[in-house]
Amino acid sequence: MILAVLLIAAQVAAQDPRLDRLDPDTRAQVRVVVDSARRIGLPAEPLIQRALEGATKGAPGPRIVTAVRRLSADLGTAHAALGDGASVPELEAGVAALRAGATPEVLAKLHSVRRPPLTMALSVLADLVASGVPADSAAVAVLALAPKARDADLVEFRRAVERDIALGAPPAAATSVRVNAGADVLNAASPPPGPALPRRP
Amino acid sequence: MFEQEDDIVERMIQQLRRPVAVDPALDARVLQAITAPRPSQRSVWPWLAAAALLGALTIWRPWSRGSAADRPDTLQFVLVAPQANSVSLVGDFNDWDPKRSPMRTANGIWAAVVQLAPGRYRYAFLVNGVEWRADPGAPAARDDEFGTPSSVVTVGGKGS
Repeated sequence: MILAVLLIAAQVAAQDPRLDRLDPDTRAQVRVVVDSARRIGLPAEPLIQRALEGATKGAPGPRIVTAVRRLSADLGTAHAALGDGASVPELEAGVAALRAGATPEVLAKLHSVRRPPLTMALSVLADLVASGVPADSAAVAVLALAPKARDADLVEFRRAVERDIALGAPPAAATSVRVNAGADVLNAASPPPGPALPRRP
Repeated sequence: MFEQEDDIVERMIQQLRRPVAVDPALDARVLQAITAPRPSQRSVWPWLAAAALLGALTIWRPWSRGSAADRPDTLQFVLVAPQANSVSLVGDFNDWDPKRSPMRTANGIWAAVVQLAPGRYRYAFLVNGVEWRADPGAPAARDDEFGTPSSVVTVGGKGS
């Protein structure tokens, strides 16, 4: 009885009405991927969002299905590296880090040296690579800062590296310099409390 | 004059040295009072324990810790597009639905404020309903599998 209820619930969830924006053939294939992911304990929402992104951007069906399948596989890799306790945001950030060039071993190492949530640390790693920093340099930098730095410190570190790169510094050198100055970053005074204004991405 | 004062002092000393009549049962009463159980003191311990627990909870605040990690953050997305007639903010946080987050303009500066729970989100601006633009002020999404630029924003749990 309980199994039947769970199966029905899973089927209802797999038939997410948001996927009606896809053409029938693409929708059916995406549902198969989403259902498979659910069965092995992976989150469905990132897969649905990727399909919706493709639909809104007018991508062809096969490309949407390929993107969703690839994301499902990467979520599985991130899940294996970060463990069963990883949250959905951590898995998504883990996928971003993997796609940026970080290895599963780097993710596992980060998991061992930093208290959760790891979302920001993994995102900073991915964003540094997107800024032109070599993946191995970004991984070394984040792993060096991860044990002690707060999320805000990591964001400030990323912004500092991006500023240096914009001013003409080679990305790897900028990262290295900022890691060495990490103590200064960590010891920097926090901004004074003020009215809650929306922050920028 | 001094002799009179000496007399007074001498009388005071004698008065102080006079033996005091002590109740013979005093020792027994004192011993009984010391060894007897004191119910009022025993009942203090539960109150002390409760106060300590309350103090620990007040400092640790587990109820706010759990929610801090999930607390939404308010973000303002801005795009400078003086020639645009409409700009929509679309991303993982609104099911990539252009109707959900239309941006408002003032002198060609388009802005929208949204609340996001902790997580990593892909998003982009849709200009005039046809042109996709990434956010120039945010990290780029590397995996643009659909051939148009996107950006990413990460909302941290605490301390971000």
